[in-house]
Formats: sequence, structure tokens, C-alpha cells
Amino acid sequence: MSALFDGAPLTAMQSSQPLQTSISPQELALEIKAFISGVDQAQGRKLSMRDHARCAVRLLRTVPACRGAALEHLRGVYDEYVLTFLQDLEGESNGGIGSGGTLGLEDVIQEIHGVLSEFIRLNPKAWAPLVSTWAVELLGQLSSKHAGRRGAPHSSSLNELLQLWMSCSATRSLMESYSQCLAAMLAWCPDACVDALLDTSVQHSPHFDWVVAHIGSSFPGTIISRVLACGLKDFCAHGYQGSAASLEIPSQQGSLALTSMEKTCRIPKIGSVVGILGHLASRHSDSIKKELLRMFQESLSPAQPSAGAVVRDNSPQLRRATVPFLLQLAALSPTLLGAVSAELVEFLRPPVLLQLQDQFQALQREELDNMVGLTVHLISHSPAGGPRVLRFLVDSATPASVIMSGPVAAPQEGVREACDRLLQLLLLHLHKLVYNRPDGEDVYPVSSSSSFSSPPRIIPFLEELRGHVGELCAETLRLERKRHLWLHQLLCLLSVYGGPSVATEALCRLLTLARSPEELALASQLHAPLSTCLPGLLPAVVVRCVAQIHTQSLGSKDLGQLLNNLASVIHGSEDEAKGAGGAAAQSSMAAQVGAAISSHLHDFCPLLLNGNPAVSQAAARLLSCSQLSRAASPAQLLVISRAAVAHFFLALRRRSEVSAGKDAGGEEVSYSIRLLSRLAAFSPLTQKAVLQQLVEGALHRGNADLFGDQRENPDGDLFSQSLTPDLGASLLDINCKFGTTVNFSGSVWSVFHAGVIGRGLKTPHSLPQCDPDQITQNVQILLAVAVHCCGSSGGGTGNGAGTGGTRYQFPEEPAPISAEAAKVIAMALVENVCPDVANGELVWPPEEHARTTVERDIHIRRCFEQNPVIFHLLRVVAAGRPALCYCSVVLRGLLATLLAHWESSREPMTLDSPWHLQASCLLVSCMGEGQLLPPVLSNMHEIIPHLTPFEVRLLLLAVWEYMRGNSPMPQKFSFSADKGLFYRDFSRDGDLSRYLAPLYSVLHKNIDQLGHLCWRFQLS
Amino acid sequence: MSDIRHSLLRRDALSAAKEVLYHLDIYFSSQLQSTALPIVDKATIELVEDFIFHVPKDRGVQLKRMSSLQELQLLEIMCSYFQEQSKDAVRQLIFSALFSPQGNKADDSRMAMLGKLVSMAVAVCRVPILECAASWLQRTHALYCVRLAKVLVDDYCSLVPGSLQTLQHIYTASPRFCCQFITAVTALYDFSSEDLIPSPGLLEMVVTWVVDDPRLTLITFLNMPISASLPLGSLGVTPLLGLVRWCVKAPLAKRAKESAPTADTESFYSKLHLGVLQILLMLQVHLTEKNLFGRLELLQFEHVVQLVEELNPLNASREIELSLNRLAQVLQVSLSAGALLCTREDLRSLCSRLPHNNLLQLVMSGPVQQPPHSPFQPGFYPHIHTPPLGYPPRPSPPAHNTHPSHPAPQFLPGMSFPYRPIR
Repeated sequence: MSALFDGAPLTAMQSSQPLQTSISPQELALEIKAFISGVDQAQGRKLSMRDHARCAVRLLRTVPACRGAALEHLRGVYDEYVLTFLQDLEGESNGGIGSGGTLGLEDVIQEIHGVLSEFIRLNPKAWAPLVSTWAVELLGQLSSKHAGRRGAPHSSSLNELLQLWMSCSATRSLMESYSQCLAAMLAWCPDACVDALLDTSVQHSPHFDWVVAHIGSSFPGTIISRVLACGLKDFCAHGYQGSAASLEIPSQQGSLALTSMEKTCRIPKIGSVVGILGHLASRHSDSIKKELLRMFQESLSPAQPSAGAVVRDNSPQLRRATVPFLLQLAALSPTLLGAVSAELVEFLRPPVLLQLQDQFQALQREELDNMVGLTVHLISHSPAGGPRVLRFLVDSATPASVIMSGPVAAPQEGVREACDRLLQLLLLHLHKLVYNRPDGEDVYPVSSSSSFSSPPRIIPFLEELRGHVGELCAETLRLERKRHLWLHQLLCLLSVYGGPSVATEALCRLLTLARSPEELALASQLHAPLSTCLPGLLPAVVVRCVAQIHTQSLGSKDLGQLLNNLASVIHGSEDEAKGAGGAAAQSSMAAQVGAAISSHLHDFCPLLLNGNPAVSQAAARLLSCSQLSRAASPAQLLVISRAAVAHFFLALRRRSEVSAGKDAGGEEVSYSIRLLSRLAAFSPLTQKAVLQQLVEGALHRGNADLFGDQRENPDGDLFSQSLTPDLGASLLDINCKFGTTVNFSGSVWSVFHAGVIGRGLKTPHSLPQCDPDQITQNVQILLAVAVHCCGSSGGGTGNGAGTGGTRYQFPEEPAPISAEAAKVIAMALVENVCPDVANGELVWPPEEHARTTVERDIHIRRCFEQNPVIFHLLRVVAAGRPALCYCSVVLRGLLATLLAHWESSREPMTLDSPWHLQASCLLVSCMGEGQLLPPVLSNMHEIIPHLTPFEVRLLLLAVWEYMRGNSPMPQKFSFSADKGLFYRDFSRDGDLSRYLAPLYSVLHKNIDQLGHLCWRFQLS
Repeated sequence: MSDIRHSLLRRDALSAAKEVLYHLDIYFSSQLQSTALPIVDKATIELVEDFIFHVPKDRGVQLKRMSSLQELQLLEIMCSYFQEQSKDAVRQLIFSALFSPQGNKADDSRMAMLGKLVSMAVAVCRVPILECAASWLQRTHALYCVRLAKVLVDDYCSLVPGSLQTLQHIYTASPRFCCQFITAVTALYDFSSEDLIPSPGLLEMVVTWVVDDPRLTLITFLNMPISASLPLGSLGVTPLLGLVRWCVKAPLAKRAKESAPTADTESFYSKLHLGVLQILLMLQVHLTEKNLFGRLELLQFEHVVQLVEELNPLNASREIELSLNRLAQVLQVSLSAGALLCTREDLRSLCSRLPHNNLLQLVMSGPVQQPPHSPFQPGFYPHIHTPPLGYPPRPSPPAHNTHPSHPAPQFLPGMSFPYRPIR
């Protein structure tokens, strides 16, 4: 079949030469008659459509005079073909079978096409204008005539239309012929044929678009520039004045609707131009862009046609109309706008701006206003390049500094003012757009349903800036004169436009990047207008910040800044609140932020342990000034308290590392203390956790040196091992030789405490000691914290520390140490000091039983040796009666070792073993404080330094005995409501005198020295 | 007349046109019976313009225009009419009533229609129409003739490929028309611009005609009554001037248009040149026969002057050599054949601005003896004794129009020319 079709025009072409000679004039005359009458002259029957068409083609080939008539007749053939084609389509869509009517004409169409293309090929100059006119008219007629048919798609769907018509071989062949003509004609009369195309396009407006689109994509270069040139000429001739004004209002309704409206009424050509370029934009946006920019540049350059381009009339009037024309074009077509807007700004260098200004100075004020309005509208609708435009505007509008003003100051000033005005108007326009956005579809029912799918209007400029919030924020924070005001306003609009997501991002950025109170104030200024229309903004901001922390997207510097800023915001609230309510907005913001942060505290607490001091300090600051949330789960609370305690020790260490003179570490410590006391005061649970952690931390090997640790550093051990030659001492070896060596009494372990037998004593490890003052201070701080934390729990009084002048300020009157808290410390101490729980009961055994626990006792003693802070903690425990009872294991162990020491001591005076003396004194006094001992017994610590070791042993034995006889039981304490403390009534314990006998004998023996103290040991 | 107009207004365009044609036929037939030389009155002209050419006139009446199809039908009807109208006079009358230019805005459509009609007549070989057209070409101003020629050339030489054959056949169908057509075509294509250089096809056709039958070009001249005066501004009686122009200017034009195939066309121009020379020789006989020798200037001097002026002397090269050679030959032969009437003095002043050419120099010097009846013998040029030229100095230009009716023949055939040497 196809071979037949393909062959038909071919044979016709081949036979063209003989045809000429073979047909006699008489036959030709008959042929003409047949053609005119439609009746075969020889046989007298009517010609079929097909034969009639063939007859026309023959005449076209042979009788030049019949050209017009033949072409006219062929129109009918094409029309018939299209009709049948569409009917077939409709038939198919109805499910029926197509009539197949097109088949008969298919080969005729092919033949016509073959003949025409042959003609055009042979003599383009003569045929191309003829055929192009004919084809374009016919195409226009066909497409508008059949536009309304059922088979044809709606005229708005260009692609479907294109597909339909290109699948119809009649229109396709017409199109091919037309393209062929154009290809030939563009060489010598491009203007004429584009004009013709545009005219036809206007005449058959929407239905003809597919032709233009197709042609345009076949000849993009020429068509684009020609179309633009025609458009400009037309615009120059009658558009221009006031066109911008009429544009402004409808364009707000939506430029698509406008385009079709414009087309029909006002400037017909610009509509077609826009339509055509719009079609081409999809595939040839680059060339369009280039062409538009070239036009723009040419309009500015004084009348010198560029070398490569087609020389066009470059009249000043035309040039002056170019910029308005381009603006108009852009306003009519979003695609064109998108194509140009991004690049155009690049061209606006100072000299160009000056030229532009010169050009526009000639315009009337009204016109100028229109243009500015149009420009603003365009900027706000440009889908791409918004940030560049903005940067350009802001840069140009910012007043030049004094240094910059040179000889060109005056025109620069004019340009600057123009840009300033433009920017203001832009902001105003955006403001209108943003705040007048319809909430639902019902505001602009017509326009929104026709042109926009989503109910909230899209403002492309802001839409694009959404992605640049960060840069905007950074720019704003530079606080450069007018700049930041504009940008701040823009940020505000952007936030309102973009909704919570943009608003939170902006605020978050501001909070992260602000480095001074002034800069931070921008955040609250931004929040103030937003708070009305975006509820729940601040919690979202905080959530976002937290998310940032979790994703670790911030650098440590920014992180610290963020935390500090948050803290400042909250803090501000407290200040404001104290200062009789300053800016209500600000305080409300602070309160909201505080609330939001308190519900996320546990997310911040990992930051306390951040490696960067600044971050952890900032975190401490933030946490210390924010409230704990009642809603927090125990797990979260525990996490927080653990982190807080860990941070406390970290802070202490930093403080001691930092040179003593500076206050840097101190601040952090103070935050930490405040945080801990807040935590402890929050609930019994947190209090317990904090205290426990504190004790554990204080006794932790890593932290021990802060509090005067005497022991060898484990690291030092390793260190020394690697340095000192291995002595070859191995417990395994020793044990293997067990039988052969002397069987020591006690555990073999003890051997190693002092060193390897036969090698002498272990070399004592002297660590570089911390500054004793520092240590004292550390201990003080620790104790202060502990005491403070032990204060009344669960009250949640929240009268946290104010940041005053003093470093570690606590409430003047620390609450009495609560028994519960003290018990927690006690338990923690026991757990940490006492290695096993065997024989750990509260009741004291006989003194002899101590031998069974030598190992443990030694361990306990060593603990005390290494951690002097334990004594201090014990005192705290003692203060919280009756908590000391729970420490009895520890006390017992220590006492046992002391007894052993004094027993074995052969020194003349107790002063010769200072630690043991001190320990003994402290122990006894502590037990007295905790009311484990009656005052008479506990006072003995005052005389101990004056005694011999043996006497001390006697006295301590007496203490043991007392303890054995009067077990330290919490039940023995009773609460005294008026003092808020527990007290023990020693009178119920029976006779004391039998415990006092050694004491008295010692007193007697040393009456010369101790006489003045005797009154201390009188039983009342 | 107005009742006809009213009845026509009600008809559709085609039938109205047919009606007008019918009316004209009756009208002129009756006129011819009453008067020997009927004139076409103004009312008739208007009728034709309104209903055949559909010229819009501001009379408030929107006349119906014909579609191309209807136009074709009308043309077909006209063809048949002219074919079937047996009376030559009626035919001529109607033809001139229809197509004589009136100098108004109807002329454009008139010319369009005429072009189509003649083109169609050529295609279907309607001799009467071609004859009428030949007469029309003879009496109409050259501008219109050129337009008609243009239409035919466009139609047959460029628009419809392969149709040149058809046009070629008009030589057999109507030699008169063919002759006029050559005149018009050569007037049209005067080498003044690149567009006005004959296409190879056209050239070939014309050369074929001329070479096949040199007498063809003289048909109009031969058929013309001796006393008949040419209307002002009409085409020349013979295509001689145009053909000479082609031969002389072709070498120069080719240089400008470098892409042209040279060898073929060059040989055609050579043939054409030969043909022209032969025609000129033939002309001498006919002039003598008609007793017009020296009285009728078929190659007018001022046209020659114009031609010489058109030659661009800057092209001093091989091409100008060729064209000057041709010019010299033509001048010599036409002088001797009596087609060109001028003194050698005139010639010398004319050719003084041209670059030097040996042959031209010889021609200006003139032959010693030129027997008028003997055929042209190029070898015989004794240039030492140049007899004085027998012509008096040229009369003033207005006198040229009176040539055909020149009172006394100064030179009779058979008389030898007294030459005088050129100084």
C-alpha cells in the first residue's frame, strides 16, 4: 500500500517531461473543460473527487494560467481529506469502523505534495511565496474550521493539537511544503514571511498556534529574531503608551488569562509574539534568551548595528521602545520572564544603568510609574534569579559610602534613588501580595480556578527566596545601614508567606548567627509580627534547633552561640520580669522560648559534655536558667542529672586547668552549680540521682585528683611499668612457690600492697600535686554543692541562684540538710568505698571480729587516704542525721584499721603518723556530729593529738565498745519538728560510764597536759 | 446601458461577466454593420471594468469578486469565444475593449486577466487570441507589453518546469505573436540588473526561434502597412534592438553573475549574434523591396547611443573586447543594411568613450567600397582609402518619427555610396 503511495508522486514526476510533449493543446483544452465542469469530457461521466484532483494537478503542471484555480480546487481536496480523517477518528472513538474514505485521497495528497515540492525545489523564488501564502491560508482555514469538531482536541492543548494535525497527512504535507517555502524565503525576505505568519496567526488565533509552534521549532533562529523584531515594530507603532497601565491590573489576576485577553483586544501582535515564543521556549529557551538580551543590549548601544546580526532599522524611537516592549513581553509570558530575568541582572552594570536612566528621563512621569509598577510586578513574579535581582537592588540602593563618592556621584545618586524606590515599592507590593492572599478558593473564584491549582497564591519571587533564607539572615545580621531594614522586612514577608517552615528557619538562623544583643534583638523583632499570624512558632523554632543539634549540622562555634542566644533570650525574660515588665512582646517570646526549651532539656544535655568548652558552658548556661518540665520522664531526668553532674566535674577540671587568676572557668562552674541545685530541688528523684552521681564522681579515679587524691595514678602505673624494668614479680610464681615460702598470716594479697617481698618497699609514686588552694577550693565547691543539693527536696522553690557579683552564690541560708538526702550520700559512699557487702550490717560486732575483715578494712582505709574528700562528705552525712548510721560499715572499717595502726605503732607520739591522727580525730568528731557517739565520747578528738599511740588505741577501743553496745540505728533518732532535724536521746542508752573508764584513766595519766580539757568529758 | 447594469448587479460574478461578454459581442457586431470603424465608448469600458475586472469603485456597491475557479471558467469562456468568433474585426474590437489599458486602476486586474488569458491561449493553442494579442502588443505602450511578456516568461520559463516546449510552439501557431513576444521579451530583459538577465531556457528558446527562422523577427515589419505610424511609446517594429543589446551586453553581464554556466549560454549568444547579423542582411532586401531603404530607421540611433552608454567601460577586459567586437559588427552591418541611419561622425563621437577596439576602429573608419547588394564580406576592409560617408549630418531627433513618411528617398538601391574619409 505504502509502496503505491510512495510510487505515485514519483511516477508522476518522472512522467512530467513526456507529459508535456504528449498532451496536445486540444487535449489540454478538454482537460480544462473537464476540470471546470467536473465532468469527464470524453466519457461524459462525473469525475470523482480523486480524478478531479488529479486533473487539477495535471493542469497545475501543464497550464500555468490554471494555477490559481487548481490551487483553489486543491484546497477543497485538502478540506475533504481532513474532514474524512476527523470523521474516521470520531468513528474510531465511537467504536465503529472508520469509513476509510481518506485512503482514496491519500495518494492524491501525496501527489500534490510531490508536485509542489518539486516546483519549490526547482524554482524557489517563484513558487515559495505563492505556495507559502496558499499553504498558510489553507492551514489557517483548516485548523479553525475543524477546531470545534468532536475529534479535535481543545485549542488550549497545543501538544495534542500538534499531534493530531501532524498525524493527518494532508496537514502534514501542507506543513512540509510551507517549511520548504520558508526555508527558501528566509534567505531573501524574512520580514515578509514572518509578518504573513503572524497575520495569519492573529486571524485564526488559538487554532493556528500549532502551525506557528511547528514552524518556530523548525526555524528557531530566524523565527525568534524576526518575531521579536515584528513585535517590537508593532509595539512601537501602536502599543506603548499606557499599555503598561492597562496591564497592571489584569496581570495580577494571572498572566495566562491576560495573554488570551490581550490577544483578542489590544495589541494583537504582541500576543502572537508571546504565544509563539512561549511555544518555542520549551526547546529553544537559550536562543530566545540570547535574542532578548541582544535586543536589550542593542537598544542601549547607540545606533551601531552589530556586525553579525541582521541590520535592522535602529531608530532611536525603536530603541527607546525596546525596554518597555521587553517588559511587556515578560509580563505577558512567565516563561519568557523566567528565561530573561536570571541573566538580565548580569548586564546591569553601572554604565548600563546610567544609559537606562538617561533613556527614561525622557519619559513622562505617568509612564515611568507604569514601568516601575510593571517592573515590580515582574520581579515579584520572576520564577528564577530572585536572589540575584535582590542582591543587585540592595547593592545599588545602598547609599554609597563617603569614600566611594567620586566625580560620578550625581548620576549614581539618581540610579541609587531609583533602585531605592524600586525596592521600597517591591516590598510594598510583596506586602500586599502576602497579606492579601486568599485563604481559600472563594476569594477569587474565577481567576484562581482558571489559572491556579493551589488555593494560596504563589509568589515566585518569594518562592525562590525560600531557599535563601540563610543568606538573607546572614546579610541582615550585618546590620548595614538601610540594608538590614529592607532585608528584615523581606524576611518578615517571607516568613509570613512561607508559613511555619520558613519562619522557623529564619528565626533559627537568626538565633544561631546573632553575635550581639543588637543582633539578637532582630530575632525578637522578627518574631513580634509573626507571632500574631503563626501560632506555635517558637516551639517549632526550638524543635528545629534541637534537630540541628541532633544532626550535628552546626559547627561548635555556632552551636555555642545558639545556646548562648537561647539562654540570653530566656534570661532577658527574667530581667524583664524583674524590671517591672518591659517590652511585653519580648518577655512573651522569652517565656515561650523558655517553656519550649524546658520540654527539650534532655536534648540539650549531651551538649554539656561537648568537647568544646564554649559549647558546654553555653549549654550549662542555658540549662541553668531554664525550668525543668514537670512532664519530663524519669529517664530524661536521670539523663539530665547524669550529664549535669558530669559537667560539674568537667567544669571544675577546666577551672583548675585555666590559670587561677581568670574567672573563665568559674562562670561555668557557677552555671553548673545552679543547674545542679535546680535539679536537686526539682524532685526527690533528681535529688537522689544528683547526689549519688556527685559522690560517685567525687570518688571516681578520674576526678579524684581534683580533691587531693594521694594515690598513684592508674595511668601513671602503666606509665611506670613501661618505664621501670619489669621486676619479674608475678603472683602466679609466688603462688607456685607457696609451699616453700613462709606462710604469712592473713591473706597473701597483703604482701603486694607494700611491694614485692625481697625487693623492698614500692617506690612511692609522687604525682604532680595540684595547687592545695585549688584543691581546697574544689572541695569547698563540691561540699557546697552537696550541701545545697541536700537542702529541702522536692519543694521546687526554684529560687535558683541569681547571678550576682560573688562567684558561687548560694541562698544565704542554706536549708538544713535533709535526712533523706544525707542517706543517699551515705549509701553512695558505702557503695563506693566498701568493696563488699559481707558483714555490712549496721550493728557493730566485737572488736576481735575485725580480723575477718582486714582486707576490706584496708581497702576502706586506702579509700580514705586517697580521697580526703570522703571525710568532708561524711560530715555532710553526719549533718543529716541519722544518715550516718548507714555508713557504719565504712566507719567500722576505718576504725578497725586505725586501731590496728595505733596498736602496732611504736612511735612516741601520735603526731608522728599525721594522717592516722587526723583520720582518728575526724572520725570521732564526725561520729559525734552524726550523734553516733554521745558528746562526751566524741569530744575525745580534742585530746587525741596530745596522746601516745597506745592511749589513742585505748580510747578508740572505747569508742568501738560503745558502738558495739549502742548500735547506730536510725530508729533511735526522733524528729524534732521545731528545728526540722532528727535528734538522738542518749539518755535512753543507759550508762555511759563504763565506756568512759579508759578515757578518764588517760586523762588522769596526762592530767598535766589535758587538765584544761577535762570539763569536756564530764557527764552532766 | 443602465438597465443592463441593473440586471447584471443581480447576477453572480461569473454569469455577469459572461453576460457582459455576450453584450459586447452583440453590441460590436451591430456597430460594425453600421460603421466601418466603431469606437469603444466610455460606458462600455466601465461596464467591462465593473463586471469583468471587478474594480472597486466608490459607488457604495460592493461588487462580487470572482474566485480563481470562476476566473478560470471565464477565461475558458473567453478562449472559446475568441476561437469561435469568425469575424476578425469583432474579435479585435472586443479584445481591445477588454484589454486596452485605460490608465486607471482597473489596469492591474486587466493586465492580470490578459496575462492569464494569453498564457492559457498559449497552452491550449488558441491562434485567434494569439493574433489579437500580437496586435495588442503592437499598439500598446511598451510598459504593458513588457508586463505581459513577464507573465508569460514567468509562467512558462520559471513557474512550470518543462512547459517551455509549449511556449516554443507559438512559433508555429502564431509567428506574429511570436515576433512581438520576442520584441517584448528583449525589451524586458535589458541586462540592467541581475534579475533582468534572460534565463538559459528563455535564451535558448529565443535563439532557437531566431536561428531557425531569421525572417520571423521581421514579420511584424513585413506585415505592417508602410504608412502605418507607430503609437507613441510602443515596442519597436522589430526585436532587433533588444537582440543586439543581448548580444553586446551578455558578455559583460556574465561577468557580474559568475555562477552562470558560461559555455552553453556563450554559444547561444554567439548563435544569436550570427542570427542578428543575418537578419540585418535580410532586412536590406526587404527595405529595398518596400522602397524604404534609408527612410526607415529600424535601429534607431538614439537607442544605439543608449546602448553604448550602458556599456560599462570600466570592464576593460576580455569580455568587453567581445562585446565591442559584436557591437562593431552590428554597427557595420546595420549601417550597410540601412537599418541604422547615421554618419560616421556620429558614430565616432558615440564610440569615443569606449575603450579601444580594433574592429570598432575599422568600422568607424568605414570600408572603402561597399557594394550595397553584395553579401557582407568581412575580409574586405581597405582602410587606407576611406571614402566620405554619404549621409548628411543627423537631423534633429523629432524628425525621426516622420521617417516612414519621409518625402523623398535620398538613396536608391543600386546606387553606390560616396564615402569620405574620416578625419
